[in-house]
Amino acid sequence: MMKKLLALILALTALSAFALAEFDLSQTIAVVSREEGSGTRGAFIELTGVQKKNDEGKDQDYTYAEADFVNGTSLVITTVSTNPAAIGYASLSSVLLNDTVKSIRIDGVEPTTENILNKTYPIARPFNLVSKGELTNPLAVDFMNFVMSKQGQEVVAEDGLVPVNQEAAEYTAANLSGLLVVGGSTSVAPVMELLAEAYTELNPEVEVDVQSTGSSAGVTGALDETYMIGMASRELKDSEIENGALAVAIGIDGIAVINALDNPVSDLTLEQVRQIYTGEVTTWDAVAK
Amino acid sequence: MTNQALSPARPVHQVPTRHRLRLGSRILKALCWLAGLITMSSLVLIVVYVLARGIPHLKPSMFAVKYNSRNVSMLHAIINTITMTGLALMFSVPVGVMGGIYLAEYAKPGSRLVRMIRVTAETLAGIPSIVYALFGQLAFVITLKMGISILSGALTLAIMTLPLVLRQTEESLLSVPMSYREGSFGLGAGKLRTTLRIVLPPATLGILASVLLSIGRISGETAALIYTSGTATRIASLGKSGRTLSVHLYQLQQESRYTDEAFAVAVVLLLIVIIMNALSSFIAGKLSKKG
Amino acid sequence: MRGLFLASACVCVLAVFFISAFLFVNGLPFFAKYSALDFITGTEWAPLRDVFGILPMIVGSFYVTFIALLIGAPIGVFTAILLACFAPKPVVKVMKPAVALLAGIPSVVYGFFGLMVLVPLSRTLFGGTGKSVLVASVLLSIMVLPTIIQTSEAAIRAVPQSYYEGSLALGATHESSVFRAVVPAARSGIISGIVLGLGRAIGETMAIIMVAGNNPRMPGNILSGVRTLTVNVLMEMGYAADVHLESLIATGVVLFVIVMAINFLFSFITRKRIAQ
Repeated sequence: MMKKLLALILALTALSAFALAEFDLSQTIAVVSREEGSGTRGAFIELTGVQKKNDEGKDQDYTYAEADFVNGTSLVITTVSTNPAAIGYASLSSVLLNDTVKSIRIDGVEPTTENILNKTYPIARPFNLVSKGELTNPLAVDFMNFVMSKQGQEVVAEDGLVPVNQEAAEYTAANLSGLLVVGGSTSVAPVMELLAEAYTELNPEVEVDVQSTGSSAGVTGALDETYMIGMASRELKDSEIENGALAVAIGIDGIAVINALDNPVSDLTLEQVRQIYTGEVTTWDAVAK
Repeated sequence: MTNQALSPARPVHQVPTRHRLRLGSRILKALCWLAGLITMSSLVLIVVYVLARGIPHLKPSMFAVKYNSRNVSMLHAIINTITMTGLALMFSVPVGVMGGIYLAEYAKPGSRLVRMIRVTAETLAGIPSIVYALFGQLAFVITLKMGISILSGALTLAIMTLPLVLRQTEESLLSVPMSYREGSFGLGAGKLRTTLRIVLPPATLGILASVLLSIGRISGETAALIYTSGTATRIASLGKSGRTLSVHLYQLQQESRYTDEAFAVAVVLLLIVIIMNALSSFIAGKLSKKG
Repeated sequence: MRGLFLASACVCVLAVFFISAFLFVNGLPFFAKYSALDFITGTEWAPLRDVFGILPMIVGSFYVTFIALLIGAPIGVFTAILLACFAPKPVVKVMKPAVALLAGIPSVVYGFFGLMVLVPLSRTLFGGTGKSVLVASVLLSIMVLPTIIQTSEAAIRAVPQSYYEGSLALGATHESSVFRAVVPAARSGIISGIVLGLGRAIGETMAIIMVAGNNPRMPGNILSGVRTLTVNVLMEMGYAADVHLESLIATGVVLFVIVMAINFLFSFITRKRIAQ
């Protein structure tokens, strides 16, 4: 019974793989978007022009209502990797480490660290660490020193981000101990975990707690001091600055526009990305050359 | 339908012939078997699929003491699940059992208070976990300043599992024959002594079954925990944040690099549920033999 | 001791009180800033522009639940009849623990299964993203099965033997006695099982968030994506601040009120059954 079922499952999987072998360009584009409030989405819609001023002069997000809305950087990648007709966007640092999807050239420019540094790749934003006013907790200050040091920025660069501090000084451990709570953006969390691992190797008495919840939660958490340091993958809002939030960029991250490996399209213009994400263009043949 | 059959106004010749009756019933019976088959095959499909994709990825490195992004260990999540379960049950079991004792042994059946307790217990059992998540965050994490911690999560889950223990205790106590109590009273024992020494022992198995169900429920809970006990990857003490197994599965599922590991975690979760279920049906079997 | 027992029993009452109090106290300030009517009847959800309409999610919740019950209720009830009346003992012995296991599988595992199996399957069959009302409903229909089966089976078994025997004595077969005498007598128990299933379906979050597409607009046909009330809360909770966060708590309040209403419906049916 079990064997038969297993065979059935395998057969189904094989069948779907076969059905996908030939890519049909007349297919509807399965648009994958982040949820409302996501830092990555906020940066993406601003940089691609999906967000425009509406008649009342307010910024309006025109993301295609039929998109598949998922809540997490990696969930976008999973969704896109399993659907050849899909398009998505995600933090470049996460995409670089992943071989299940490919990133699309925008206006002919490959999303690489060099191209972000020389500003030819158009979709990039800073990763921020947020605190309430200047950091005072010695542990948090020391961690921040580490992040901005040579070693810290190397970790940032290894993760595929563009370091902000190219000539950083060496970090020496201050031998502190205690618990450091960092929380916020799901895009920043992966690099933060690597930073935390590197930091605790140098400071074995310190425990770093990385909560991946979301950019706004990161800022709110930093303000109400749930987190000693908050993470945000976007610039601070005016209301947040008024409440005392202070942001420090630790690296610049590109947002890669991605699709599945077996999708033949690998070049789009920024305008085409906008059209896809506003639902003005809905099939692949409209954007394939 | 029964009313129609009894109604004398109905002319005799309109009663369906026996043959058609039989055919209709047979079709319905066939539908029953079909439905049973669908139920069973969906279970088998889910379990077999998860096991088949997860078991090959259960590696010893996934049980390393310290989690890092290379070994994707789930040991911390397993230990957090145990802490979480123990702590939640430490609150819900005593309260639930004592409450159940009150309902079964002390309360006047049908009194206003008892009705209210029943209705609220039912309400608690019906509240969606996402509402518990909101409540846990607002009450424990923010208002009581417990922060995102195992303790906040456990208190939230304690309230969630309370009705389960309460109802099961009450039912188990009520199923103890009246003669036990009368005998004990006859020998001059007081109410409390009778309850604790005579009535409670035969009901223990039933209560244990509810505890096992609660364990299953707690280890499977995700939504209520993400924002109360958080997603930190470490073996957490009570005041700190740590993810349980199901939260771990949810987080891995979001991290596209870890699909295989996610399946492995799903296998462990399934095993916990299967073991808890087997134990509780074993107990149920014992109970029914007794009865 | 008596006092302690009484106090423990009252914890339930207190818990419900505090849950309602925390939700309402934190949710109501939102309605001071935003009209409750616009909130419930608005069809646009754009929290960053301060437009909060949750009608699409209310409709979505009921839509998904309705289709799930349409699939799950008949399967559940028929399975219950099979277990109570037709299946030979060994089959019952296997199936009852199986149903209990189905109830025990964590919803996050259901969701993961749906994401890895049902979504690609639906995409192969129907195209699109594969995330839809249909997939969410099919997944939910499996999840509500145990609730419906267990409650209905208990109700059918509780029907006095005399109904069945009486019918047999009138010359009916075993099958027709079951369908014409026993099952109708268990009707209200079966209905309350379905209502319980309804409650479970409408409150489900983790499984749906992975397979439903979560589009915050009015759901269209059965293959379009949908966002439920539960998903709306969980999805944006991490990102929400200020009014946005309050709007999510308010969404929770609406969900809570709906679930309470279903609960009252349930206890109304149960009370009617006892009255019978």
